Amino acid sequence: MSQEIPIIELHNISKKFPGVKALDNMTLSAREGEVHSICGENGAGKSTLMKIINGIYKPDSGEIKIGGEVAKINSPLDAKSYGIAMVYQECAYVPEMTVAESMFVGSLPLNRIGTVDWKYVYEHAQYLLDKEQMIKPSQLPHGIKTKLKDVSLATVQLLEITKAISKDAKIIIMDEPTSSLPNVETELLLEKIIELKKRGKCILYISHKMDEIFKISDTITIFRDGQHITTKPASDLNIDSVVSLMVGRELVNDYPKEKIQIGDIKLNVRDLHKKGVFKNINFNVKAGEIVGFAGLVGAGRTEVALALSGVDPYDDGVVEVDGHQVTIKNVPDSIRNNIAMVSEDRRKYGLVTVRNVRENMALPNLDKFIRNGHLHRKEEIDAVNEKCDSMRIKTPTIETVTKNLSGGNQQKVVLAKWLIRAGSIMILDEPTRGIDVGAKFEIYKLMVSMAKEGKAIVMISSEMPELLGMCDRLYVMHEGEIVKEFDRSEFSQEKIMHYAAGAHNFTRK
Amino acid sequence: MKTLTNRFERVKYIAVKNSIYLILGVIFIISSLLNENFLTVLNLRNVLRQISVITILAFGETLLIIAGMIDLSVGAVFAVAGILSITVFKITGSLLLALIVGILSGVVLNIISGMLVSYFKTPPFIATLALMTIARGFVLLITKGQNIYQIGRFVEFGQGSIGFIPTPVVFMFLMLIVTWYILNHTRLGRAIYAIGGNEEAAMASGIQVAKTKFIVYVINGAFVGLAGVLFMSRVNAGLPNAGIGFELEALTVAIIGGTSFSGGIGTAAGTLAGGFIVGLLNNIMNLVGVNSYVQQIIKGVIIALAVIFDMAAKNRRARPEE
Amino acid sequence: MKKVLILMLAVLLISSSVVFAAGSSEQEDDVFKVAYIARAQGDSFASWLANSIQQEMDKYPDMEVDIMDGQASDEKVNSFIENSITNQYDLIILQPNNGEAQTPYVLQVVAAGIPIILTNPRIPDLMGTTYSVDADPYEQGAVNARYAVDLVPQNAKVVVLNGPAGNMHSTARELAWDKEFFAKRPDVTIVGEQIAHWNKDEAMSFMEDWVQANDKIDAVISMNDNMAAGALEVVKDNPKYDDLLVFGVDGTAEAALLIEEGRLTSTSFQNAYELAIKNAKLAHDILTGEVTDLVDTDIDCPLITKENVELLMDAHRATGAIQ
Repeated sequence: MSQEIPIIELHNISKKFPGVKALDNMTLSAREGEVHSICGENGAGKSTLMKIINGIYKPDSGEIKIGGEVAKINSPLDAKSYGIAMVYQECAYVPEMTVAESMFVGSLPLNRIGTVDWKYVYEHAQYLLDKEQMIKPSQLPHGIKTKLKDVSLATVQLLEITKAISKDAKIIIMDEPTSSLPNVETELLLEKIIELKKRGKCILYISHKMDEIFKISDTITIFRDGQHITTKPASDLNIDSVVSLMVGRELVNDYPKEKIQIGDIKLNVRDLHKKGVFKNINFNVKAGEIVGFAGLVGAGRTEVALALSGVDPYDDGVVEVDGHQVTIKNVPDSIRNNIAMVSEDRRKYGLVTVRNVRENMALPNLDKFIRNGHLHRKEEIDAVNEKCDSMRIKTPTIETVTKNLSGGNQQKVVLAKWLIRAGSIMILDEPTRGIDVGAKFEIYKLMVSMAKEGKAIVMISSEMPELLGMCDRLYVMHEGEIVKEFDRSEFSQEKIMHYAAGAHNFTRK
Repeated sequence: MKTLTNRFERVKYIAVKNSIYLILGVIFIISSLLNENFLTVLNLRNVLRQISVITILAFGETLLIIAGMIDLSVGAVFAVAGILSITVFKITGSLLLALIVGILSGVVLNIISGMLVSYFKTPPFIATLALMTIARGFVLLITKGQNIYQIGRFVEFGQGSIGFIPTPVVFMFLMLIVTWYILNHTRLGRAIYAIGGNEEAAMASGIQVAKTKFIVYVINGAFVGLAGVLFMSRVNAGLPNAGIGFELEALTVAIIGGTSFSGGIGTAAGTLAGGFIVGLLNNIMNLVGVNSYVQQIIKGVIIALAVIFDMAAKNRRARPEE
Repeated sequence: MKKVLILMLAVLLISSSVVFAAGSSEQEDDVFKVAYIARAQGDSFASWLANSIQQEMDKYPDMEVDIMDGQASDEKVNSFIENSITNQYDLIILQPNNGEAQTPYVLQVVAAGIPIILTNPRIPDLMGTTYSVDADPYEQGAVNARYAVDLVPQNAKVVVLNGPAGNMHSTARELAWDKEFFAKRPDVTIVGEQIAHWNKDEAMSFMEDWVQANDKIDAVISMNDNMAAGALEVVKDNPKYDDLLVFGVDGTAEAALLIEEGRLTSTSFQNAYELAIKNAKLAHDILTGEVTDLVDTDIDCPLITKENVELLMDAHRATGAIQ
């Protein structure tokens, strides 16, 4: 095996952006039939390297060899011709497009008259779907003509992967392909990756999910701050050693959970209902308590969060805050009642990415800095600086535009903007999605300190371990309803999955 | 506040952030080398007066574009405001009353746009296009298409001066301050930036989106009304067909000034710089005596170059996303 | 709720406009229906002409006119022509927006057997095919140019303000100035020439810049009165320009006032009233059978200077444009 020429080799790749050395003498090689995982905190240079391989960025120095020969990759099109395919973290797609069209986007086949050969498109798309078996027919309500807006984000992601592997790529780069996938589909994807490996493909895999990495990887490379730290066979490493190599320090405990005195009920929700979205939602959260919401993607957890924060109001039901009944019809209502919601969709509901850190953090708190209609800059700057320091937000200045921050720091800015308010009820929807291990740990610590201050915290997450690690109690949602409540003492991954997947219904029928 | 690491980076950062003012500076220097009459107090005073009406309109457009909207009715509404203001002056003889009526006319008409956009969710492009036709029809109807002359002391708004500074220029700087203050020191300003940058995030942060949009149209209306009064006064006539195409000129000024058509980005000072760039270009080309067909070509090219340079400078500032 | 409201509003608007329309044209069979298609109501001369046509036509009890606004758009004008054929008007008076563009539509009218009068301007290629009433745009420029030849001082420096490129009136007036003035006065230099699109405000900006760029300007040659007035606006309080000669064309109310004040040197009078009177009379003569042959009628375009400005003042006093 060691005699074999690696299918891809990167030699001494360096790349500098203004003010940042993103990659410094990076070296990496992978063979056919290998799953090579690349681990590193956000900002370590993983995505930059992948973009260089895919021809989106040009390296300042260094060379790429494909199959032993120097490759000149100046665009994604070049990359494609070298047999490189890329599946992105957050794929852009056109909602009105059909599944079949999306399989051929950019290269729709034409018939003799020069119009699109739809017959071929539909037949061949169906053929590819059948062949690759990534998507179950039940995921596409109208078959191959289903519009992308009518399928889950997970299905769109799976389509992307199907497309990449159908192009017969030799090297497949996957950048966080499972970050928006529910567990069942993640499992399916991991199986597919192992199958692809057996077919002799080389897979460069980026993920923050350690369990996935260890399930599929042959080799693991660890980056830190744009530098290559080590490359080792997966069998020589374990989760703890990878994490400590990534962050450059030992992480003592996975979850900084502490025993906190739990107080009175802060938020009590009864019979919350929204037509076609959720119904009969009954739950409560107490001061100092972290309450989890488990469930599959699409179970209605996010929708409940949006309803309670006034973004997308409920139809009827009773909401009580500190024992008083309140009505939440819009966001100002929820702010007035001390409810804050950190959305799962940072780019949609979280940040105004073209604006700077200061303005984003001040946005829901303007009343604090405004007197007689005048906004006092000094007070605003002080408040923002204080939170940046206490939450260790890494930004060149508070005037830096938020789209230029790393995912973890963006998430911290979103949290910070609600923490300036000191609201007493925090609803956190996927607070650690797409951010690196170090930043996750910091967010967990923040949650604990919020709980210590007596805040009531709702945590929605699709990552079972963090729910189990952080929550005092946990509700499971399935198809718009709460189907089960667990106390920390009863936590078990299997039981929760059982309810989340709707298995309890199945046995009854 | 944390500081940037080294001095070079810092200088570069400031230069890039202020690229539009650099462009303005370069045009200014080149102009003063091209013609000895350029750098005279009287000429610069002329330039200021020539850009004041369009720049005031551009301040309104700036607020709208930052919030992700637009106003195509500027030219027509501005004609209505000017004509009504002159009519009131001719009846009452009161300059103050005429000014108030002019501004109110702009406000009232923009309330229509504001209602359509905020509460009926009409796309701003369509809503203001409708208002443009309505307003133009209205002003032609009330004047029967005829110009109004003999407007007497009404010319003081546009032709008078306060001290050495022409009145329209004073108004332009007042509106600059108003726009700057709104954008930087009020809740409304923050709401404008947030809505244009990401309407959903603004809403989820408790910003009242519909109300904000409505208010921005009302403010724009006041600017347009004022500009109409100044314009009619400057030309010493009530011209019902004035202002055709002014919406595009005002948009051009705002965009050159660094306002982003995709929303969320723009400043009052940038728009003023945009007004200066357009005004200086027109002025120097006339002073030098460039053929009017060639002028149009040069102007188009320079506008495109300025925007390209500005965008390139801004993009270079962006750090990689990881 | 909103939808119902909008719908009701729409129905109300449409029905009210129908009522208005019905009110304005009582249908009588023994009355001749005349369509007047104006180039653009937004153009002050065109709307003056349209208003005058309405006024003159009202004097004939057996004729009735509908005024249509072409809004300076060939497409609008052309569709009004087509609609007028469909609606079986007895006669059509057309003020073309663009001769080339309207020609095929005018020929359709002729083919349909409906008499058509072209006015302000006529389409030269269609003389002999249609009736026409017009003033000669070359002559309008020429009367001023001939007057200027003797007035403008030796080695004078002049500036020129033109109308929109490709506009027939502007081109004809420019040609007249070239032939009747510049060709005869080679000593004169043009120190600035720009297109101000007939607009007063644009002319003002150009003049401001010219005043800066030149020590001395002896005369402003403008292809219409609006632009001439703009140039005068700039120098009105500047004693250095007391002797400035300014020439316009059109004979607008503002020009009348400026000539009376002694600031505008001359203009030529294109009298919308006279055009309207001739149009109405010709229309009536055609419809009653008094005129059978195709005729082309011209109105005069007298030169207006301080000596005869009362003529112009009176015309505008009659409309109320001057008090």
